[in-house]
Amino acid sequence: MLGTERSTLSELAKMTAASQAERTVLEEEFNWLLKEEVHAVLKQLQDILKEASRRFSMPSPGLEGQLKQENFILGSSTMDQVKGVLTLQGEALTQADINIKVAKSSQVMHFAFRDDKQWKLQQIQDARNHVNQALQLLSSRDESYHFKTGAEVNKLMDAVMLQLTRARNRLTTPASMTLPELAASGLMKMFTPPMPGDVMVNFYINLSKLCLTVYQLHVLQPNTTKNFKSAGSSVLHNPGAMFEYNNTKFEVSHVHKVECVVPWLNDTLVFFTISLQLCQQLKDKCVLRQR
Amino acid sequence: MSGNSLVLPIVLWGRNAPTHCISSLLINPRALLFGHTASVTCLSKASAGSDKQYLVSASESGEMCLWDVNDGRCIEFTKLACAHTGIQFYQFTIGTQREGRLLCHGHYPEILVVDATSLEVLYSLVSKISPDWISSMSIIRSHRTQEDTVVAVSVTGILKVWIITADVSRMQDLDPVFEEESKPIYCQGCQSISFCTFTQLSLLVVCSKYWRVFDAGDFSLLCSVPSENNQSWVGGEFIAADKVIIWTEDGCSYIYKLPASCLPASEHFRSNVGKKAEGSIPPLVYSIADRADKQLEEGWEGQCVVVRLPDSACDPELYTPELQYIQRPLEAPLLICPPVTRFFFGRREPFHKLLIQGDSAGRLTVWSIPETSPLQPLSSAAELQVSVSISLQEAFDKLMPSPAGIIDQLSVLPGSNDPIKVTASVYIPSQGRLVCGREDGSIVLVPATQTAIVQLLQGEHMLRRGWPPHRTLRGHRHKVTCLLYPHQVSPRYDQRSLVSGGVDFSVIIWDIFTGEMKHIFCVHGGEITQLIVPPENCSTRVQHCVCSVASDHSVGLLSLRERKCIMLASRHLFPIQVIKWRPCDDYLVVGCSDGSVYVWQMDTGALDRCVMGITAVEILNACDEVVPAAMDSLNHPAVNLKQAMTRRSLAALKNMAQHKLQTLATNLLAADNADKGNLPKYSHNSLVVQAMKTNLTDPDMHVLFFDVEAVIIQLLTEEAQRPNPTLVSPETLQKAPGGADKGGSFLANKIFKQVKETIKENIKEHLLDEDEDEEEEQRRREEKSKSLSLLEYNLTMDTAKLFMSCLHAWGLNGELDEVCLNRLGMLKPHTPISFGLISRGGHMSLMLPTFKDSLLRQLAKGCAEGRKLSVSEIVGKGTYGVSRAVTTQHLLSVISLANTLMGMTNATFIGEHMKKAPARTVPRLTVSLSACMALLCRLSLFLSLSLNRARSLALSLPFILSASRSVPLYPFTPLKVLMCVTGWSQLAAMHCVMLPDLLGLDKFRPPLLEMLARRWQDRCLEVREAAQALLLAELRRIGQSGRKDTIDMWAPYLPQYVDAVSSRKSRKITHTTPLPRQVVN
Repeated sequence: MLGTERSTLSELAKMTAASQAERTVLEEEFNWLLKEEVHAVLKQLQDILKEASRRFSMPSPGLEGQLKQENFILGSSTMDQVKGVLTLQGEALTQADINIKVAKSSQVMHFAFRDDKQWKLQQIQDARNHVNQALQLLSSRDESYHFKTGAEVNKLMDAVMLQLTRARNRLTTPASMTLPELAASGLMKMFTPPMPGDVMVNFYINLSKLCLTVYQLHVLQPNTTKNFKSAGSSVLHNPGAMFEYNNTKFEVSHVHKVECVVPWLNDTLVFFTISLQLCQQLKDKCVLRQR
Repeated sequence: MSGNSLVLPIVLWGRNAPTHCISSLLINPRALLFGHTASVTCLSKASAGSDKQYLVSASESGEMCLWDVNDGRCIEFTKLACAHTGIQFYQFTIGTQREGRLLCHGHYPEILVVDATSLEVLYSLVSKISPDWISSMSIIRSHRTQEDTVVAVSVTGILKVWIITADVSRMQDLDPVFEEESKPIYCQGCQSISFCTFTQLSLLVVCSKYWRVFDAGDFSLLCSVPSENNQSWVGGEFIAADKVIIWTEDGCSYIYKLPASCLPASEHFRSNVGKKAEGSIPPLVYSIADRADKQLEEGWEGQCVVVRLPDSACDPELYTPELQYIQRPLEAPLLICPPVTRFFFGRREPFHKLLIQGDSAGRLTVWSIPETSPLQPLSSAAELQVSVSISLQEAFDKLMPSPAGIIDQLSVLPGSNDPIKVTASVYIPSQGRLVCGREDGSIVLVPATQTAIVQLLQGEHMLRRGWPPHRTLRGHRHKVTCLLYPHQVSPRYDQRSLVSGGVDFSVIIWDIFTGEMKHIFCVHGGEITQLIVPPENCSTRVQHCVCSVASDHSVGLLSLRERKCIMLASRHLFPIQVIKWRPCDDYLVVGCSDGSVYVWQMDTGALDRCVMGITAVEILNACDEVVPAAMDSLNHPAVNLKQAMTRRSLAALKNMAQHKLQTLATNLLAADNADKGNLPKYSHNSLVVQAMKTNLTDPDMHVLFFDVEAVIIQLLTEEAQRPNPTLVSPETLQKAPGGADKGGSFLANKIFKQVKETIKENIKEHLLDEDEDEEEEQRRREEKSKSLSLLEYNLTMDTAKLFMSCLHAWGLNGELDEVCLNRLGMLKPHTPISFGLISRGGHMSLMLPTFKDSLLRQLAKGCAEGRKLSVSEIVGKGTYGVSRAVTTQHLLSVISLANTLMGMTNATFIGEHMKKAPARTVPRLTVSLSACMALLCRLSLFLSLSLNRARSLALSLPFILSASRSVPLYPFTPLKVLMCVTGWSQLAAMHCVMLPDLLGLDKFRPPLLEMLARRWQDRCLEVREAAQALLLAELRRIGQSGRKDTIDMWAPYLPQYVDAVSSRKSRKITHTTPLPRQVVN
């Protein structure tokens, strides 16, 4: 009896000694994490994000200070009623050529941007600004900075991740608009020849794709028997959606959506995902080691 | 809040102040405001006058709130899709009027102009040329053109100017206003811009790597100074015509004297404008900064030091600014992010110039900036001392007695001063128990009202150690992180089981009645962060599970019945943010912090899909759509057999239906639950204890929500469960033996009959359906069936006792205080009680325990001098001087409760009946008598407002007394009963009419007429009566001129047709008045 008790006691002593040793090791490991590993990760993050940020402002090869212009042909595999050729320069669409084949009359309508106008894709600008803010946060803590606590690292990572998530969300979730909002937007006034009242267009980014939606409308009679119900906001409205604009009631008769992958947007999305994962891993390490 | 129910929070802060990281600064003491769901990004004042002090806040998620600084009332709130990063208040001149506007900028390319009272977006300032996010802005009124000018810098460094003419200000539609001027000034990463308010001729732009001064007329560069040693500037301001203060990210501030070339008064002004072509950055004398840093690093730690540096020998060129002061931040041990610094310049006498800094440790530091430059410029070193430095924790530490935590008396270990921190808590309303998980892994079960009484009130319990009786559960090895009482959420769970999760990765099931540990789950690889109950219509197997979420990003379904983990989903790369359910498809939907969504099949544990982007948002939203279970099973052929079985389960259905019926009656009367999250979920409970923390690592603080209406209903329900007073017929009274005065009893009978009718009506009105009775009974049965070692006590009466004791204005009327203590059984508070205020949309403000700091300090001084200053003197008077809204709420509560208690049999908190729920053995006659007397006295309160009627009542009272004397069967002497009743009526009368006189007008903020008027027709009769009495008293108090002012103020909001009758009493008008939104909360 006494013997077993004694042995358990000595085991207990051993265990506390072991845990003491373990604790020192863990502490050292945590210090290493704060001193070395954190900076290594931050450096890696900066490199990735710089690369991402660079994609947003590719210089054009010949001209100094000019952003590269890229042409995209928008189409869809299932239908050919709408075709668009868009020129993207950084965050702005500088030129657009849209051909719409009207189903009944098989007449082709052609619209292009006026020369004095370009359309800014707010999603790209927002994403770019968010990435730059993330970079700014990261660069404020260079190698010379000594992190003292895990909480400090966590806070920095939270701030960086917030910007990155926002940057990614801006690209992955286009703004949903109501049809009257769309009709009132400046986009409708940018074309030559002017867009007729029964056609509306919308540009947006969805993931890495540049999308163009064309809505063909028909005017509802003021005293129509059809019960009128105004459609809510959506990224892509369906045929049959109704709305009222300038005291006229419209119904969407046809919706055409064409798109084209923008390769550099795809790259940035990949960069965002990788950096977010890096951030999270670093956070997890800090949380685990902190105790 | 919809304004319907009257809920009063009381907060127990505990010794540890809530940690907070200061992310935006404005001088704002007093209270902690709750309401935002994401972190706050910016604050701004929102009113100009000193009489209305409003504050606007914006959060990451795009919410904006307008608060009243005095009491923390949320006046207005709104949500936009975009997040603001900066807000500025400005009064634009429109004709002769000045309209308050908020100018907001943020993660969008415009500047939004928002109305400062309604928070509506009025119009936006848009850029035509290279529009981009605005990083900072400034507004100035030009003396020359009498126009307001908005100057902003975009993130790409382009300066924009908008001119706000009177036409623009008057504009109501959302036409954009385009910029007047757009000029690249090559300021990347602009942090702040500000005008020189002294000369109005120069503009300071602070970027992270340099700061520059521009001519405000044509924006030509006057001076540019780079930062040294990798420091980055974060802000700056003019402090005089020739001096600027610039602060860095790590909290140092520098005061520079501007060179002559930047001073409009100087002959050298703009003398170097042409030169900037060579190098726009003038050479700075680097030696200055270097030396400064060295000097400072030599052990100036913990002090703010200002060093007047010798001018260097280098040529002090005209455009070289002179560094005058440097401020160092206090060394804070745990600064996890850069501090925020602001410069405040007093607009009124005395013109204080203050530099205020707030950091992530929650510390505020204030420096007073001297007007003059040091006199000996060359060799001497001047020090600029910190004027004030305070953190919330420091203030908490200084308080004597220290702020109470809810179970502090049970948590102090021998040999240590600080109580063990409470890390998780759950309140079980049906039993009135609070369950607290603590830092050391133990879980304490304690009666909530009893423990709150210990913390707040003085009494005999102070002598007992370890009071109140409690139970401790030990099983976790380390901190308990979450607690769940599943039966509270759904009756399908065993009412014995309590589930707890800890940092030791384990989840434990407990039997709360025996204290036994039933099972330990060890399935997770990280700290348990959340425990959730699955919804009703899941499969039977899942219905008996709880869902656990751990910090290793895993989710488990732990079956309480089978005692095993039936599913573990653990492939998530990011922390889990939300768990949603799709019961009809047998799906568990996990939303992660990066926006990805994982859909798991609960039955098989298979990952169905993992999506991102719009689809992810759509899936999460689809889970919120409520699909009625029965309909679904009919329409959905794909529903599997198992689920169909579940729905056919009669027992479950029956159980549910019963439960629904029971709660229906109470819910009808209780507050509508549509309010936002932090409102008590079980609003038909008179008391709800909600734990809160501002930081995951903080200990819990507890907020006690008292629902006045529910207290009244419960009191009346219990009263009604005693033998029905209407059963006592006048005959029995007449048959009563003894030589009662015939004439007297005749009159008494007559009065009694009338009173009886009133009582009958009264009770009818308050008695809920039979369901309610059943529920009560069931509850009591349940309570009886429990083998409890914990003390039995009357929850309702205890709640009322605690509440009344906290609300009563002690120390104003010594006689009444005696009555309250001895007759009514109330207890005096021993600390100032921190109340809270719930306002619109469930926004809440909580008073910090330091709000009576000055008084407490006085108390400490008084003690030191040997002068006796009673604690209760401080305790009672203060809450009526905080704000008008608080006064209104408190007076309404105290008067309506006193009225209710007046009508009760045992209207005292002393005696045996406090120990358990009301017994049914109370003799009938006494009940009826005391009840009728109570009612009479209650009437007397309202009648007392008109004197002649009170006299008639006083005449009738003796008859009642004589009648009651003739009754032999009573447990209390009638005198005693009467004393209680008069005690309550005195208490009500004091709060209703005498407070302004007793407190003096400087310490009393009168109740808000609008709030009272809105309760004129309150659905709860007691509250309604209290509101009516208060309103009348207040209208009388303010006198004729006050009434006239009120009518004048309300007149613009009245519908036209009322004008003809505006000479009628103002209270009549209140019925039809649609009041302005901002005055009614």
